[in-house]
Amino acid sequence: MGIIYLMLVVSLIIALFFLFSFLWATKNGQFEDDHTPSIRILFDDENNQTNHTEDDGSRKV
Amino acid sequence: MSESCYHCGDEVIGRGYTLEDKSFCCNGCKSVFQLLNENGLDSFYSIEQNAGSKPKTTDVHRYDFLDLPSIKERYVDFEDENSIHVVLFLPAIHCSSCIYLLENLNKIEPNILSCQTNFTKRTANIVFLKDALTLPGLALLLDRIGYPPNFEEKKKVNESIDKTFLYKLGVAGFAFGSIMLWSFPEYLGIENLDAGIRSFTSYLSFFISIPVLLYSAREYYFSAYKAIRFKQINIDVPITLGILALYAQSCYHIFSGSGPGYMDSFAGFIFFLLIGKWFQRKTYRSLSFDRDYTSYFPVAVLRVVGDEEEIVEIEKIEEGDHLMIRNDEIVPCDVVLLSELAQIDYSFVTGESEPVSINNGQLVYAGGRLIGAKTRFQAKNASERSRLANLWNKSSETSAKKSKSQANWDRLSSYFLIGVIAVASVSAILWAFIDSDGIVETVVSVLIVACPCALSLSRPFTFGNTMRKLGRKGLYLQNTEVIDEINTVTDVVFDKTGTLTKGSQEKVVFEGDDLSEKEWISLLMLANSSTHVLSRTIVHWIKQKEFVIDSDQSIEKYQETLGQGIQGQVNGKHVKIGNAKFIGVESSDGTFVSINEEVKGKFLFESEIRDGLEEMLSKLNQNYCVHVLSGDSEKDAEMMKSHFPEIEKCYFKQSPEDKFSYVEKLQSEGKVVMMIGDGLNDSGALAKADVGIAISEDVFQFSPNSNGILEANHLRKLNKLLDTSSFATSVLWICLSFSIIYNIIGLGFAISGNLTPLVAAVLMPISSISIVLISTVFIHFRK
Repeated sequence: MGIIYLMLVVSLIIALFFLFSFLWATKNGQFEDDHTPSIRILFDDENNQTNHTEDDGSRKV
Repeated sequence: MSESCYHCGDEVIGRGYTLEDKSFCCNGCKSVFQLLNENGLDSFYSIEQNAGSKPKTTDVHRYDFLDLPSIKERYVDFEDENSIHVVLFLPAIHCSSCIYLLENLNKIEPNILSCQTNFTKRTANIVFLKDALTLPGLALLLDRIGYPPNFEEKKKVNESIDKTFLYKLGVAGFAFGSIMLWSFPEYLGIENLDAGIRSFTSYLSFFISIPVLLYSAREYYFSAYKAIRFKQINIDVPITLGILALYAQSCYHIFSGSGPGYMDSFAGFIFFLLIGKWFQRKTYRSLSFDRDYTSYFPVAVLRVVGDEEEIVEIEKIEEGDHLMIRNDEIVPCDVVLLSELAQIDYSFVTGESEPVSINNGQLVYAGGRLIGAKTRFQAKNASERSRLANLWNKSSETSAKKSKSQANWDRLSSYFLIGVIAVASVSAILWAFIDSDGIVETVVSVLIVACPCALSLSRPFTFGNTMRKLGRKGLYLQNTEVIDEINTVTDVVFDKTGTLTKGSQEKVVFEGDDLSEKEWISLLMLANSSTHVLSRTIVHWIKQKEFVIDSDQSIEKYQETLGQGIQGQVNGKHVKIGNAKFIGVESSDGTFVSINEEVKGKFLFESEIRDGLEEMLSKLNQNYCVHVLSGDSEKDAEMMKSHFPEIEKCYFKQSPEDKFSYVEKLQSEGKVVMMIGDGLNDSGALAKADVGIAISEDVFQFSPNSNGILEANHLRKLNKLLDTSSFATSVLWICLSFSIIYNIIGLGFAISGNLTPLVAAVLMPISSISIVLISTVFIHFRK
């Protein structure tokens, strides 16, 4: 039954990983604008190169 | 059948403007197309059809004020040695093509490094090279392609609060899920589990719930503490009591080794409570409800010192300064006219729809809009001491009132608390006779079960759903409390100009010679080339005559003189439309027309009642007492009588102060007043009224401070909107009854001493989720 202890700890670590991912995403503005990115992804790539290199969203918060 | 403009989708009249095989309604649209076409941004037109916004003719100096360092720093977010980051509010953003165009701005202007749009907030985050491009240059470019930035709006940023809230929710959700997982053996009744594992999971639950207790649930303690300090009871007091009882009892269980306690229910409680709060506080972030008077004014004006003109912020204007105001600009303080003659449109301030002629030396109040060429004024006082600012300050003093609905809710909470304490004491006395060891256990169980989780979810979900429903129908409320206020309203006061009547003066009368069909068409062609409001109105009006327009009509040498008029060659004839001075006649009002220098007549504009209001008002009049206040003179009394015979309380020549005191008077008679208005002239009354609803043609553009913004074309459904809102109260009562039934069932378990962690873990989510379902289903499935 000793394995149960390990499993419990592992499950906690996995859950903590998701908690911190959520907090990190919130901090970086992931939930601030839920509409624009869904449109942006539909634009053709050919002319978007310049935009992607200069993505400053994460740097500025 | 005529074509629609390739750029903006408006109807093209005659041959219009063509380029390649595409036709455009006006020169502005055509030049935007050319600009996009040359820079390889054709996809703009393929993502969404006719997505462009019609660019307005703008003075090249319009954005010069942005060069002023003190103004510039208000909008610049971040600046380094090469580039500048700005966040601009662009109300014209409306579709995916807009996003495409704005995010590819660097193709048009290579000095723009990047542009990130936020569709929900209608902002663009732009980075540009500061040596090669200036902020006014950027603003002008955006204006030229049809996205004029709005600088008057000062956006308040309170995102950090939103983020903290999400953190709390995340932590509570994490704890809830984890603890439930570890409690699973308990749920299944595996009692003789390895004792070591049982205590191990108990201690894990204990540690994980500490951040929930100290962080996630924090605001409930603060709120309860504050209420008790002021000798009041609010809903957070029984909640806090329940939370603490639950936590203490669980800790006792864990440390005495008798099981994992109620930690799952504890974390679940907090999680559901926070979800309720989150649902309630989600508001319309892109709308502003609490503008102050400064957002009506320009940011800066031209001041004349000696022979030189300089740009100053309006805060720096002092008495005696000479100011140059351009066409279409708003006068920022009370001023005296120095030029000979000027036309001032006071519709913002007084609600009068016709411009007023002002002679040399006469006083012009702040908030008036200049119509016509650049004019010189002398400031009478600083902007913050103008008549408008005074009116504003007067109304904002009164707005700090505690909402009545909140007071009712608090009273209900205190009854609830008294009930809980009574039940707890009775069960304690009962248990004293049965088994004195069970007293503490029972009292704590009662407090746990009585924790009004479902009860406190009823309100946010019922009202939150109603608010969303109203939003879909065109009424955007500031917060959910407004719904409660709306349901107590007894009297509805309407403003006339811009509210009952259309904001732009849409009814056109032509006085003059009988024009031939050909002449009408040439006027139509000319007016259609301009984006001016009056030109649009004329176009709309002439179109109703349904002339057959052959498509080889064309217009040449089109010219627009700002604030005066337009002219051009149509079918070889020189056609002019404009004010008296532009055409060269001696008269004051009206828009004149001349063909080949021969004056043909003039257009007069009148305001027109919005569609469908007669029916709405007569229905409204059955349930509410309806009043109409108008800034206009009594010449409209006849028209009002003929359209709205039921309404007796019609008052004319009402100044903003009169409107304010009228609302005040009604309130002193014990009435609950809803004020519906549109302009600055109603702002005092809107703030004073129990519910102030602003009418707006475009909700993102411009509206005074209010509790709600109603889209103008939905005004005719106002009675239905009010019904929807009052339905919320019925749903709230249903939810309350349900949650009280749950509480009684729970109390049954608690008093009989049967509240096991399993019962708590089942009862709590079931009650909360069913409340959420009931309110959502009822509100959404009602027509």
